[in-house]
Amino acid sequence: MTAWNIRPIASALWRNRTGALLVAFQIAIGLAVLVNAVYVVKQRVEKIGRPTGMDTPNMIWVASAGFAKNFDYDASWREDIATLRALPGVKAASVFSNIPLSGGGSSNGFQNRPGEIPPKEAVPGNNYDVDEQAIAALGVKIIAGRPFEAHEILPPSETFETSPQAIVTAAFAKELFPKDPNPLGKTFYDGLSKPITIVGIMEHMHGAWVGWDKLDHVVLFPRIKSGPNAVYLVRTEPGRRDAVMRDIEAKLGDSNPGRLLRWVRPFDYFINQSYLDDRNMAIFLVSVTSALLAITALGIFGLATFNVSTRIRQIGTRRAVGARKLDIVRHFLVENWMVTTAGIVAGCGAALGIGYWISVKYELPRLDLYYLVGGVIGIWLIGLAAALQPARRASGISPAVASRTV
Amino acid sequence: MFSYYLQLAFRNLRRNPGLTALMIGAVALGIAVCVMTLTMYRAMSGNPIWWKNDVLYAVTMDFWDPQQPNYDKKPELPPEQLTYRDAMAVYRSDIPKHKVIMHKAVGIISIDGSQVKPERAATRVTSKDFFATFDVPMQYGGTWTDSADSGPEPLMVISRKMNEKLFGGANSVGKRVRWNDTEFRIVGVRDNWLPLPTFYDVNNGALEEPEDVYIPFGWTAALELPSAGNTNGWKPEDITNFQEFLNSELVWIQMWVELPDAAAHDRFQAFLDNYAQEQKKAGRYQRPLNNRLTKVDQWLVDNNVVSNDDRVLVGLAFAFLAVCLLNTVGLLLAKFLNNAPMTGVRRALGASRKQVFMQHLVEVGVISSIGALLGLVLGATLLMGLRALYTVDPTDAGGTQALAHVDVTSVITALGLAFFATIAAGLYPAWRIGRIPPASYLKAQ
Repeated sequence: MTAWNIRPIASALWRNRTGALLVAFQIAIGLAVLVNAVYVVKQRVEKIGRPTGMDTPNMIWVASAGFAKNFDYDASWREDIATLRALPGVKAASVFSNIPLSGGGSSNGFQNRPGEIPPKEAVPGNNYDVDEQAIAALGVKIIAGRPFEAHEILPPSETFETSPQAIVTAAFAKELFPKDPNPLGKTFYDGLSKPITIVGIMEHMHGAWVGWDKLDHVVLFPRIKSGPNAVYLVRTEPGRRDAVMRDIEAKLGDSNPGRLLRWVRPFDYFINQSYLDDRNMAIFLVSVTSALLAITALGIFGLATFNVSTRIRQIGTRRAVGARKLDIVRHFLVENWMVTTAGIVAGCGAALGIGYWISVKYELPRLDLYYLVGGVIGIWLIGLAAALQPARRASGISPAVASRTV
Repeated sequence: MFSYYLQLAFRNLRRNPGLTALMIGAVALGIAVCVMTLTMYRAMSGNPIWWKNDVLYAVTMDFWDPQQPNYDKKPELPPEQLTYRDAMAVYRSDIPKHKVIMHKAVGIISIDGSQVKPERAATRVTSKDFFATFDVPMQYGGTWTDSADSGPEPLMVISRKMNEKLFGGANSVGKRVRWNDTEFRIVGVRDNWLPLPTFYDVNNGALEEPEDVYIPFGWTAALELPSAGNTNGWKPEDITNFQEFLNSELVWIQMWVELPDAAAHDRFQAFLDNYAQEQKKAGRYQRPLNNRLTKVDQWLVDNNVVSNDDRVLVGLAFAFLAVCLLNTVGLLLAKFLNNAPMTGVRRALGASRKQVFMQHLVEVGVISSIGALLGLVLGATLLMGLRALYTVDPTDAGGTQALAHVDVTSVITALGLAFFATIAAGLYPAWRIGRIPPASYLKAQ
């Protein structure tokens, strides 16, 4: 141990402790912020990256709003859908009541038996009115049963009515019928005890609200959305989305003077909007944390440089009495390591405290200790890198300065 | 003396330009991040109508499911909106000085025989007091009358922005426009108005811009307008037509009242409770009596307008500022100590401790002023970046654009905070350097 000269380094450090303490403080804050920022960012990135179950890169949403007095909604949506399906590059098109992952939609409580049930037993489902091409247009995978058929599609209803058939996600079916391995063909009920038969089961699909813990509870009903506003979903051949969007603008833009083509948008527009806060939070955390670490590194660098510049004569003396360059480098690195480690010890406490607060506020699992270990190693490396240049400069000091006066 | 210290300060700053740049950079970065975060935080959480906080109340009434509250996490709160029937009943009270019932709708605005393209307009279906209650500035004209609400009469107020699109910004009072299929006459143009957050209706995100079109509340029933915001319910009901929808237990109407003093507040509270008691007799309102008049600041807290993300960001901004300041203290100390031999000479020649202290403090002041100035520029740049982050589609930026309107108060707050914090950070090094006995440095020379 004597070769490392821990004791004299520590005592030299203690004699000039103010600067070292300031840097240790910065390191403590830096570690606490780093560990928790990485933790939160990872949660966000995972949330944004969840599979949606749909063919999102090739999907387009179209909104039309009828406003004229003589506007014929029924004729209008039929004409629009026929036009959309006939466009080159279009795989399928369907009338939808709402847009998944858009933050807007309708949800209802459903139940596995008729009659009054305790509110806690109701299974919430995000429901959509769709037509017979919906499954093809969404690109979802049917694992049991079949898509809707054209003759099953009901006319618009003004009154939030459910339909006698439904296609549901596997997650929703499992919560309704937890013991049943094959819920296809089973009947469930809406809040008014109207029966609904499951004719198809989707492997997975995301609903409207990305912050909802039942995001994968989706129920599709065979019904046309009520007018006078319509929303159409168009799915294109891979890679042809943007070309088809231009075609849609051109074809539907002026086809009917009684309505307004409100917009034609790629699905990504809505998905990005829904995850905007999460994405921005991640960007914000990453940039502020990097800036914070950079400043801390500058602090370490500044302290080491200062220590070297105030000890030029002492370094020269040590060199003159036989210390090798390596000994000088090691001296400054060890000194710096002590400061860093003091900061890390304080920072671990702060990191765990903040981590606990965040896990309570966001209702997340407690901070994993791996993050802390990773953070400690990261800070050590940053500290080492920041002190390396001043330490090497110190080792370059000539032994001759010891004998110079001024 | 001061100008001499200033001269000295600039000379010293030039002596080690690297260290100086590092310090100024740290201060500037700290200030920039604080300006940005505080602006954002204020936009999200500030009370945009604080001057009326003691008289303006959101009205909520708890008639919800007897078996479970509206919101599990805050079981003490009634639903944030009212049913149409309750809103109409309570609106009849003449206790409030101003009263507003309203909901959001969407309409297509067009002008007969005009070249202007029909446009979709977010619309607020509301009662006549809307503008007086929320202190909405008017550019031309004014609001409608009571009889227009119940009539309903085809009168409309549009925003300045909409007026610019439709009429090129001219005084359009008296002009006619078509809203969906109904012809309305414009009675007023509201001036630019951007309460952030949009506290009066927090259903659709608190950073939405206010609506561009306002029409009397009576049109809800006349045109069978549903809400373009949220409609929630707890009771399974078989609703087959719009009249049944209006009479249902679904909540979708927002209500606000202005009660000028405590007496009016108590009388209106009693009026609400009395109404609920009567409804209890009729079988509704089966939960414990819980009718609330909520002030705006509490309303924003109740409705989670301030998210956990915002709190984390503010914490992060302060941690960042702390690191920047610690850094500055360390660098100042290093810099001053580097200069100690010179200070020793000055002390030996007769400068008092106080004078040395003042001289160094002036140097700190110069550094923090330059840092603050740079920080402001950098902060404004970051806010521009923030606007880009929040814009999904540049043609449809909506209210989030307002986020990046640099808010003067929060900029001054952050600047002041950072400036004084830097000065405070400089106190210790300046004091420390003044305490050095001059002899020790003179000897070493």
